[in-house]
Amino acid sequence: MTVDSKLSRFSPLERIITFDDFDTGLNGWTALIGNYEDSLDSMLPQYRDLRGPMLSNGTMWDTGSAGSWDGTYAMKLATRPQAGSLAVAVKRLTWRQLGAVQLEAYVTFKPEATQLRLSEQDVRLFGFVFDLQDSRHRVMPHLRYVNAMAGETVGRWQYKSDLESLEDIGGEGKTKSHFHLGPDGWVDLPGERQLLCYNEIATKQNWHYMRLLFDLSDMSFREFQFNDRSYDMSSVSPMVMPAMANLWCMLNLVFFVQTDIDKRAFLSVDSVLLSGSF
Amino acid sequence: MRQSHTAIIERDVTWTGAFETEPYEAAWASEAIYFIRLLAREGDAARGCARVQISPDGMHWCDEGTSVEFGGDAEVVFVRVSHFGSYLRLTGDLPAGGSVRVMVALTLKS
Repeated sequence: MTVDSKLSRFSPLERIITFDDFDTGLNGWTALIGNYEDSLDSMLPQYRDLRGPMLSNGTMWDTGSAGSWDGTYAMKLATRPQAGSLAVAVKRLTWRQLGAVQLEAYVTFKPEATQLRLSEQDVRLFGFVFDLQDSRHRVMPHLRYVNAMAGETVGRWQYKSDLESLEDIGGEGKTKSHFHLGPDGWVDLPGERQLLCYNEIATKQNWHYMRLLFDLSDMSFREFQFNDRSYDMSSVSPMVMPAMANLWCMLNLVFFVQTDIDKRAFLSVDSVLLSGSF
Repeated sequence: MRQSHTAIIERDVTWTGAFETEPYEAAWASEAIYFIRLLAREGDAARGCARVQISPDGMHWCDEGTSVEFGGDAEVVFVRVSHFGSYLRLTGDLPAGGSVRVMVALTLKS
C-alpha cells in the first residue's frame, strides 16, 4: 500500500478543491480589507487595520525554530499588540456545484512570548468563516474558539447567525459593507467547553486538527470536529442575508485571531485542505 | 520559479515622532524591499527617515544598517536588504511638527 504522508492525516470528500501546504508558499491566502469607494476613508473603521498573513518557521527566543506540523513553514496571523486587534487571512474561490464542502486544517495559537509567564489567557479567540453566495442568498457560516475573555478562561466554540448592520459605502449605491466579525451575537455550540493543548510555557505550541463540513445545497452546517470532539450542529445556523450584486458562486475561506490584551496574538495554520462532493 | 510575496505593512497611516512597523517574518526570502509611498508630507518631514531593523526572535531588535530618508518630492522611496535572517521591521523618527502619511509595502523574493 502506498501512503501519501501529506494527505493521509486528512479525511477529504471525493474531490480535493485545494490543498494548501504552507511549506510551498501562501497559496493564495492574503490580507482582508473592507470595501471602499473613492477613498480609503470610506471603509468601515473596523476593517482599516486587519493584519495579514505571513510565512513563519515558528522561531522562539528560547528554543529556536519549531517549524510546522511536517515542515518548516506555517501561515501565521499576528495581531498588533493592542487589545482587540484582529489579524485575518482570506482565500477567494468560487463553487461550481452546490454540494457538500469540507474544510480541514492543522492550527495552533499562542501569544507573543514577551513575558516569562504562562500567558494562557492572552489570546482572546481564533476562528474560521466560509463566505458563500448562491442565487438567492449570501451565507456566512462563522465559528470561533473563545480561549479567554477579559482575563477569564472560556474554552468554548461559538457560532454567529445574527446580522450586523449593512452600511452603504461611497455614493454610487454599488458597494455595501458589514463588519461580520464584530463582538456581538455569538452563541455557544451545544455541549461542554473544550480545553486545548496550550502547553506549559508560552514558547511551546502543539498543533490541532479541525474539520468543518458544510452543505451548499441547503446552506447548512453538517459536522464540526476539533481534535477529539465532534459537535452537534443540527441547531447551528449561519448568517444569511439577501444575495449581493457581485458575489455569485462565491466560496471564500477566512481564518482570524484576536488578542485580549496589549500583546500580539498568533494563529498558525500548517495546512488547509478543502474538499467537496461533486 | 522563485517565490515572491508583497505584504502591505501599513495602509494610509500617519507617522509622527518615533515609529515602528509590525514585525514581519521572512525567513524564506533572500531579498527584501520596503517601498514607502508618501501620500502626504507635513512640517519638517524631510529630516525624517526610516531604518531597517532585524531580530533573532521578533522581540529584540538591532539596526541592519540601511535606511531611507523622506526628503525630496518623490512619491515612492525604498530601502532594500538581503541576508536578514527571519524578522524584519522599519523604525524611525520624524522631527517635532513633522509627519508623513504612508503606505508601506514589503516585497520579498526567495
